[in-house]
Amino acid sequence: MADNRATVASGADANGQALRQRNVPTSATQGAVVQPELDEKKIHGKKKEPSFLEILDEWEFIIAPVIFTALAFFTRLWKIGLSNIVTWDEAHFGKFGSHYIKRELFFDVHPPLGKILVGVSGVLAGYNGSFEFKSGETYPEELNYTFMRAFNAFWGILCIPLAYYTARELNLKRPAVWLVTLMVLCENSYTTISRFILLDSMLLFGTVATVFCWSKFHGLQKWSFDPEWFFWLFMTGLSLGFVCSIKLVGLFVTALVGIYTIEDLWHKFGDTKMPIPELAAHVAARVTGLIVIPFLVYLLSFALHFAILTRSGPGDAQMSSLFQANLEGSEIGRNSPLELAIGSKVTLKNMGYGGGLLHSHVQTYPDGSNQQQVTCYHHKDANNEWWFYPNRAEPDYNPEAEPRMLGNGDTIRLIHTQTGRNLHSHDIPAPVTKSQKEVSCYGNLTVGDDKDHWQIEVVKDVSSRDKSRIRTLTTAFRLKHPSMGCYLRAGNVNLPQWGFKQIEVTCDKSNNPKDAYTHWNIEAHTNEKLPPGDPGKYKSPFFHDFIHLNVAMMTSNNALVPDPDKQDDLASQWWQWPILNVGLRMCGWDDKIVKYFLLGNPFVYWASTASLGVIGLITVWYILRWQRGFRDLSQAEIDQIHYAGLYPILGWFLHYLPFVVMARVTYVHHYYPALYFAILSLGFLVDFTLRNQKQLVQSVVYGTLYTVIIGLYVYFMPICWGMTGSNKDYSYMKWFDTWRMSD
Amino acid sequence: MATTALPQGSLRQRNPGSKKKNGSPFPEDVQVDSLVKPSPKATGTGSELDYKIALVIITVLAFISRFWGISHPNEVVFDEVHFGKFASYYLEKTYFFDVHPPFGKLLFAFMGWLVGYDGHFHFENIGDSYISNKVPYVAFRAMPALLGSLTVTVTYLIMWESGYSLPACVVAAGLILLDNAHIGQTRLILLDATLVFTMACSLLCYIKFYKLRHDPFSRKWWKWLILTGFALSCDISTKYVGTFAFITIGSAVVIDLWDLLDVKRVGGALSVPDFAKHFAARAFGLIIMPFIFYLFWFQVHFAILTRSGPGDDFMTPEFQETLSDNVMFANSITINYYDSITLKHKETKAYLHSHDAHYPLRYDDGRVSSQGQQVTGYPYDDANNYWQIIPADDNKEMGRPVKNHDLVRLRHIGTDTILLSHDVASPYFPTNQEFTTVPLTDANGDRINDTLFEVRIENGKKGQEFKSIASHFKFIHNPSKVAMWTHETPLPDWGHRQQEINGNKQITPSSNVWLVEDIPSLPADHPRREKPVKEVKRLPFLQKWFELQRSMFWHNNQLTSSHPYASQPYQWPFLLRGVSFWTQNDTRQQIYFLGNPIGWWIASSLIAVYAGIIGADQISLRRGIDALDRRTRTRLYNSTGFFFLAWATHYFPFYLMGRQLFLHHYLPAHLASTLIVGSLLEFVFNADAASEEATYQAIKSGKKAAPGPKRFVSARERFAGTSMMPAWIACGVILAIAAAGWYYFLPLTYGYPGLSVEQVQARKWLGYDLHFAK
Repeated sequence: MADNRATVASGADANGQALRQRNVPTSATQGAVVQPELDEKKIHGKKKEPSFLEILDEWEFIIAPVIFTALAFFTRLWKIGLSNIVTWDEAHFGKFGSHYIKRELFFDVHPPLGKILVGVSGVLAGYNGSFEFKSGETYPEELNYTFMRAFNAFWGILCIPLAYYTARELNLKRPAVWLVTLMVLCENSYTTISRFILLDSMLLFGTVATVFCWSKFHGLQKWSFDPEWFFWLFMTGLSLGFVCSIKLVGLFVTALVGIYTIEDLWHKFGDTKMPIPELAAHVAARVTGLIVIPFLVYLLSFALHFAILTRSGPGDAQMSSLFQANLEGSEIGRNSPLELAIGSKVTLKNMGYGGGLLHSHVQTYPDGSNQQQVTCYHHKDANNEWWFYPNRAEPDYNPEAEPRMLGNGDTIRLIHTQTGRNLHSHDIPAPVTKSQKEVSCYGNLTVGDDKDHWQIEVVKDVSSRDKSRIRTLTTAFRLKHPSMGCYLRAGNVNLPQWGFKQIEVTCDKSNNPKDAYTHWNIEAHTNEKLPPGDPGKYKSPFFHDFIHLNVAMMTSNNALVPDPDKQDDLASQWWQWPILNVGLRMCGWDDKIVKYFLLGNPFVYWASTASLGVIGLITVWYILRWQRGFRDLSQAEIDQIHYAGLYPILGWFLHYLPFVVMARVTYVHHYYPALYFAILSLGFLVDFTLRNQKQLVQSVVYGTLYTVIIGLYVYFMPICWGMTGSNKDYSYMKWFDTWRMSD
Repeated sequence: MATTALPQGSLRQRNPGSKKKNGSPFPEDVQVDSLVKPSPKATGTGSELDYKIALVIITVLAFISRFWGISHPNEVVFDEVHFGKFASYYLEKTYFFDVHPPFGKLLFAFMGWLVGYDGHFHFENIGDSYISNKVPYVAFRAMPALLGSLTVTVTYLIMWESGYSLPACVVAAGLILLDNAHIGQTRLILLDATLVFTMACSLLCYIKFYKLRHDPFSRKWWKWLILTGFALSCDISTKYVGTFAFITIGSAVVIDLWDLLDVKRVGGALSVPDFAKHFAARAFGLIIMPFIFYLFWFQVHFAILTRSGPGDDFMTPEFQETLSDNVMFANSITINYYDSITLKHKETKAYLHSHDAHYPLRYDDGRVSSQGQQVTGYPYDDANNYWQIIPADDNKEMGRPVKNHDLVRLRHIGTDTILLSHDVASPYFPTNQEFTTVPLTDANGDRINDTLFEVRIENGKKGQEFKSIASHFKFIHNPSKVAMWTHETPLPDWGHRQQEINGNKQITPSSNVWLVEDIPSLPADHPRREKPVKEVKRLPFLQKWFELQRSMFWHNNQLTSSHPYASQPYQWPFLLRGVSFWTQNDTRQQIYFLGNPIGWWIASSLIAVYAGIIGADQISLRRGIDALDRRTRTRLYNSTGFFFLAWATHYFPFYLMGRQLFLHHYLPAHLASTLIVGSLLEFVFNADAASEEATYQAIKSGKKAAPGPKRFVSARERFAGTSMMPAWIACGVILAIAAAGWYYFLPLTYGYPGLSVEQVQARKWLGYDLHFAK
């Protein structure tokens, strides 16, 4: 498939390019863009008095989308509040929305914008953020979940007019435009996913909007630097920023626009008649519109995130200690002693991006030393606490004596408070990063050796140059293992399931003082002997927080790999999606529950998948014919295949292949953005094969397609609008055993 | 979309006015011809004596470097553990399982057979002595060493056949000759020598084949086509990374076919039937025939391994029936109703168990249970593992065998209760059903339906008898259609840390498979236990092959565990890390698998230079600036481009692989990179070809110039009058410093002599994790 694809792409390109290049000086190539309108005008020019039908015809570009949108309002909103329980991932996104309303810091793998919007919808619905959104729980009276769902459905509705105008912009004939719109409208999976408090309707909207803006921008290619051109360039950038700030899947559509831009610039680069300043202006405009603006939007969403979440919450531990100290209600940096002494009870925070707290628990390593595990953990927990103890050469800690302060170069032991074991390292390879040494918890106060010793090396202190003291929050130090000369390190590598996917802690022999993953700071600090202070007066810079949070998102995203030990009923695999092999039960299947089943319109899925292959074959066919000296296609037709046919296919691959390669757990809804591109390809294919056929043939084919699509949509409607009563009543839809809408 | 224009494409763009597709395709093809050296017949002179002398010298040196001290160490080194063991299994004819295809291993077995070795030693541990175990290990090692030496020769021949000047040929082959990684990997009982050799041969054969394209379908043309296919087939039959060679050759063939399709092709357009003939010949020679060879090695594999062995467990019972002395089939007994049986979970080896203890009312997470009797998985033999199998209708008829798809009930003998599952969540999985047992009164009363289970034998036929050990089956709860399943997380203390048994809604996973281990109700001397001498069954070859193939791919994907010396693809071209193969403490000797850093860095930097040249050329062409003469460009794109393609296709796919990777995976790509070094050396020092340009102009102006389209231009002719001195100097310098690096790291390659601490420290160039550094 991939091979085939590659030849299609490059071949078609060589084809298009060569011909296009020859025509550079002339302007005939634009014909494709403007001609249809000219034709229409000509037709209208002949008639004098426009009849009612002609008015309809003339205003079709307003009337049709309005009708489609009205239908979308109906299908997306009808009985939207029927199920009054928290359905599927509403448990996550509703909860995150609540956190925004309560302004409590939380952590999630997705960028913040979509969840902020969910929070906004909650505010508009007058919701105070007090509901926990536990899966399957009934919504309380005062929570207007119907409004919140409608808010999400709104984004799903907006996709329909955008799809209409995109298809128009891609020069599809009217019936094909309707076909594309109808396929988006009558898509059961799109309908269902838009009706709940999820991010997917926004993601879909972002993808559809980006493609629309891109098609507009492409249509204005010959009018570069016009205000309108700039407008659509920046709109493309804005929608890219929007979609990337919802979910990182947005990067795939970014890649599509990026590839288009590179191709476009490569053409311009080859146009030796274009002055260099103009070329530079082209590049600069695109860099601004397609890189700077999306990035600013993305940055802004994080700025909003930090601006809203000013209170301490469940996500504290993902952020740096200094950041936490600036949160309302956080205990970090409040009333803790300023300087560290022997006998202090602390939590140790790794200062690398996305670093966690040094942690240990009674579970042991399955191989290596088989001693107690030491990890980095991102949640607050009594297992994160450590005591600073004198080393074995020194007299035992005496709780009565004056506290002995610690500074640069002191050698100490760290004792895990919950298990009483020493932080220990030895010459055994670490469990995952085999080139480094394992770190474990071993022995107790009396049992042990000098491999329990750690030497403090101060790296820097944002509040002072004095290295003779270790200060809470502000001092960054490294812990050196004197007998092996390695440094305690936590490098964002997830342990397997036996380590609960926590971060691996190792001892690294390479002495790199700049490696932030070997830097640690004191986060929580208690010592009754010392006077409490308020060390948290330094603010961490925004960019530091931004990068920190993004790295943390990546790390936990990488931990979402399928677990062979755990059987996940809901997960599915990439090959199952384009052939609609499976659906997804969004809630319990009890008779009392209103049941929703995530499954697409079979015709749309199957036909769109087939169209990808058929377009590929058609392209190969024309390329082979071209090599044999046949010139079947005009330049306009080649451009049409290139932009309306091959670019959607490219978009489909960009949105699909990453999930094939990706090792993480995948679900059916990951295919939905790709499906949109498949729908566009199918629209193109039907248009391309029918546009020169007889009117009768066209009417019959389009009529059949419309009927089948609408018919199947209505047939499968109960799975979108909610199935009440026994699931056996709906077994008529169970065409295959894997479509588990009934038992 | 790929935006890099092909060379033809770029040329086209420079003549935007021309209506013709290819400005003048005819001379271009002449240039292509000059890529390759003349066949000896064409020149008909002995003028290539210098090439031949160099060939002999290089080959001799290669043999010396590969065979020197091959008997050291006389212990098992690194992966010899595996491949030596497999050779022994072949010689003992016992069935084994491995993720690699059989060809490379068969070669070792053949070598062992030649020297009359019986395979008694099983290469259990690194460091086991060959001397005391009487293993003819030198003979084993001679096989890869032979192929490794010939690899140098083949590299030289590739450059020669491609028409490069002598210094270019020498430098490419010299970098392989003086490479510690190639030497180290090919002196031991490992598959990579075969892999690299066949990969190099496939390139050589394809170049030979391509040169004969003006004489298609001739005897020689067929010979080289088939040899290309054969080399490819041996490559992929050694290790699956051989697929990359298919991609290399395949891409070249596609480009070639594309040119054949061209209506404006030199020598006239091919008719569609002619083209179809070309296409079919290549499809046969490069796809169908290699696949048949590939299958053939499996047939040999099955034909040799006729006895049951360590690989049995990887195969289905049907497959195992084809092996002689198979324990499983010797002991399998048909199960009758009212037998008491023990059921064992195939994956976790736990027995279905129950005891007189109940599920707690409430679990830690707040969910409630049925408080029924616990059903658990218990790994040890115990009377509480005994279950009596009862038909659904309880007809008391004795001696009736249980059949596939029968509905049965299981009575727990210890507590006299019946197994049951119902719609109550299991202790750990809210999505899975709880398994429990109920007293007979309930079981025969209103719960009767919940006690019915279906026996579904894996790959079973309807009405097949249910047998102990041999029948792998899933146990499906009839009313709810969940499969009995267990996993390794132990239950809390209330469950005595035994395994949880629950009903899994996903029936398909293979983790649902159980087998009946024994029938304890049968006394040891019962007639049903008598073993009639069983005939070894036969299965069709394709069925066996298909099963083995699936199993190989599946296990290959499981090889994701980490290894202390595993490395990442990005580290290879820079040679950041090697692999420790073998150490000996008393003599401080070690074998550390590592390339010649100098050679590798030269090769890798020249790849970057090549990419830079192509990039710069594309960009300047795009702006209408043409800095290269026509011949140089064609050569740079077609010949060097082919080498670059080989490098890229043997390197980049590793980035997509999830399995553990080692430095030796880069060896085929490294070979391709030395070819690039050779051709760039020529590009830099012999690029001057003014006379060529004149010839080109002459052709362009329509005169039929001297060299006809079927005439090759040799390197000698091309560079007639050009001084070869600079090229020779460059070649000398490169090889001299490469030789220095090679010599410096030799003690780590040959494992001899041992090094002092300072000497080891001095060799830790990029922090190589050598032993004995302290």
